[in-house]
Amino acid sequence: MDNRIWSAEEEAIIATNTEATECKRCAVELGYWKDDYIGYFAKHVDRKAPEINRGYYARVKGVEMFIHQFLERCDTKCQIINLGCGFDTLYWRLKDTTQAVGNFIELDFPAVTAKKAHIIKRNKALLEKICNEDGEVVIREGDLHSDGYHLVGCDLRCLTDVKRKLSVAAAGAPTLVLAECVLVYLRSDAADALLRHLAAAFPRCVLLTYEQCSLDDKFGEVMARNLRGRGVAAPGRSHALGPADGAARLQTLGWGRARAWDMVAVWRALPDEDRARVERLEMLDERELLTQLNSHYALAVATTCDLFADMDLNA
Amino acid sequence: MSNHEEITAPSTQEDIEAADKLKNEANEYFKKQNYDKAIELYSQAIEKNPNSAVLYANRSIANLRLENFGYALGDASKAIALDKGYTKAYYRRAAAHMSLGKYKLALTDFEYVTTVRPYDQDAKLKYSECNKIVKKIAFEKAISVDKKEVNIADSINLDSMTIEDEYEGPMLEDGKVTLNFVKELMEYYKQQKKLHKKYAYKILLDVKTYLQNQPSLVDIKVPDDKKFTMCGDIHGQFYDLMNIFKLNGLPSDENPYLFNGDFVDRGSFSVECIFTLFSYKLLYPDHFYMSRGNHETLDMNRVYGFRGEVTSKYTSQMADLFTEVYNWLPLAHCINGRVLVMHGGLFSKDDVTLEDIKNVDRNKQPPEDGIMCELLWSDPQPMQGRSQSKRGVGCQFGPDVTHNFLQRNKLDYIIRSHEVKNDGYEVAHDGKCITVFSAPNYCDTMGNLGAFITMNGKDLVPHFTTYEAVPHPDVKPMAYANSIFNFLCQ
Repeated sequence: MDNRIWSAEEEAIIATNTEATECKRCAVELGYWKDDYIGYFAKHVDRKAPEINRGYYARVKGVEMFIHQFLERCDTKCQIINLGCGFDTLYWRLKDTTQAVGNFIELDFPAVTAKKAHIIKRNKALLEKICNEDGEVVIREGDLHSDGYHLVGCDLRCLTDVKRKLSVAAAGAPTLVLAECVLVYLRSDAADALLRHLAAAFPRCVLLTYEQCSLDDKFGEVMARNLRGRGVAAPGRSHALGPADGAARLQTLGWGRARAWDMVAVWRALPDEDRARVERLEMLDERELLTQLNSHYALAVATTCDLFADMDLNA
Repeated sequence: MSNHEEITAPSTQEDIEAADKLKNEANEYFKKQNYDKAIELYSQAIEKNPNSAVLYANRSIANLRLENFGYALGDASKAIALDKGYTKAYYRRAAAHMSLGKYKLALTDFEYVTTVRPYDQDAKLKYSECNKIVKKIAFEKAISVDKKEVNIADSINLDSMTIEDEYEGPMLEDGKVTLNFVKELMEYYKQQKKLHKKYAYKILLDVKTYLQNQPSLVDIKVPDDKKFTMCGDIHGQFYDLMNIFKLNGLPSDENPYLFNGDFVDRGSFSVECIFTLFSYKLLYPDHFYMSRGNHETLDMNRVYGFRGEVTSKYTSQMADLFTEVYNWLPLAHCINGRVLVMHGGLFSKDDVTLEDIKNVDRNKQPPEDGIMCELLWSDPQPMQGRSQSKRGVGCQFGPDVTHNFLQRNKLDYIIRSHEVKNDGYEVAHDGKCITVFSAPNYCDTMGNLGAFITMNGKDLVPHFTTYEAVPHPDVKPMAYANSIFNFLCQ
């Protein structure tokens, strides 16, 4: 592969993390959800369109819903692997609740994880939740390790790199693998290989993805064009599938059970009261845009083990 | 009452004791509510001992009781100047600020006290009460529906704005828009440069003056053999607006245009759009028309990007001026007495006439219901009758409603905008309700075509031209601030 093309694409992909974090901070400031840590990772920016705020809210809450279901079914030795973690604050938000996670592993491009590690080291509020009193925080080859938290630089497009870096994970532990808007940046075969490997390597595992779907329409065309304009390859064929077909496809990659829903369905499944509160935060002047967005994103839950077989929207 | 003492040399012990005696006397009078006498004695004490913060603080509250708020403020400030750690003085000053209605300033002082005395419940209480007031005022201001004409326009001083030598952009000629100016302006904008604020303000002031003299329903006369063009929502998509002019020709006396609202918000180049359109309005006042859309309002501009863009490129004061100008945009236009054009749609009541529309008092934010609101917010629906609007504002009206309205008012059909359409336009209600939407690939997301309508004055038959989006520059991230696309891949 031509290295120059790859690194331009890499930069574009990395830039999405900065923008995503700023968007999330914006939504948090407007009151969409609570996140005491996002301010460390992103500066304040001018408000975004309400559709963007609602979109992030639905995603954050949808993912949260399934994380709770996962934790309910586990004991304390469970682990969470966050692929393409960016500046996600999930680890700290979970620490603030009573739900203990035995091992938390975050993976992203070294450029991203190095920056994240730097921010963590600089801010006591972040650092103190990573190590306990006698614990230590170790920096090894640019990766940050502590007792129960690992921040690891890795090219997810390269399976050997992933396998090596995931050696910090316990293969037998009940595991949640989180992949939010990350598979879309892998070539189809690389994504398939990664998903197959995870299903095989972690026998007690549930995979939670948030990705584009149903892209075989005008919207998909527009997105492909926009991505190409930014130097990023168009989404692979798997993203053209609707949620049901997407779930079926996961099953062919070694995930025994899989279910998926578009964000229209997820939105409807969110708790009534909080959803009503959020709808009052900003008035939408029209519905078309939000519907268009929601019907092109899907949450999928796939599992290799009976323990998680009953995880469902509103289970 | 002397308030002009400088901080002088320390007084003699004798003087200090004398001042102290006077202070105690004054305190007694204060307790008996004889404030005049108390002030008199405090003043004498100050003459003896001008460096005592306590004396000033005490005189301050006495002045407050007499409602001499200015003096009270002066005394409290003096006390603070003499002794920055004297917390009581901050209380006094805060009280004076409150009485003068300066709640934000009072809040700062209360906050200081709570910081240095974190366990003082009373300080906390005062801070919290003051904070409530500040918040309440801010909230009321935010939701106020123009109870009185605020009139930013009057406060703009153009003469004090100078044009720097380095400015290479277009200039108004003798304060007026010329064809040269508009052409240069569009070129300047294509290079992503900024019009000098002096000219920007001048254009806004002139547009406001012009619009103030227009009725809420404007009659347009198109001669038999002449062309007329109608465009729908533009939403800050400047490069697509330039494309419209490329496809259909620049506006002129021979090539009149009507833009049917929603010029700004959503897109990243709203400022460029609105100044281009307003310039044409001033250049060809009888051949270039602009109708108010639901996005020419405070609520929308605050949330959907226009206010942010104006504040970033100019100032928030200009954003406020835009509010005043938008308030004067006409709500509807009638072509040759036969075709009615408005941004939203028709009404929840059957008996509305053109006269009713003309009589709407429009210099305000649109109310939550009524004719003005519905003109800006309503949508047609396929089924007969009316329904609640899917948007939550305005109403949805069926073919029968349209038919009755047209009949009552002797019109041929209506043209409106407000809804994105795949093909840029849609003909509904048996040809009687046409939607035209001119922002292609709306929000870089919808993939729709844009459209505009042309007709001649004789038969007023609509002809549709559709077009795809043209590329717009990949500028700094701010330009995509409102682009939904930002959300797509994160």
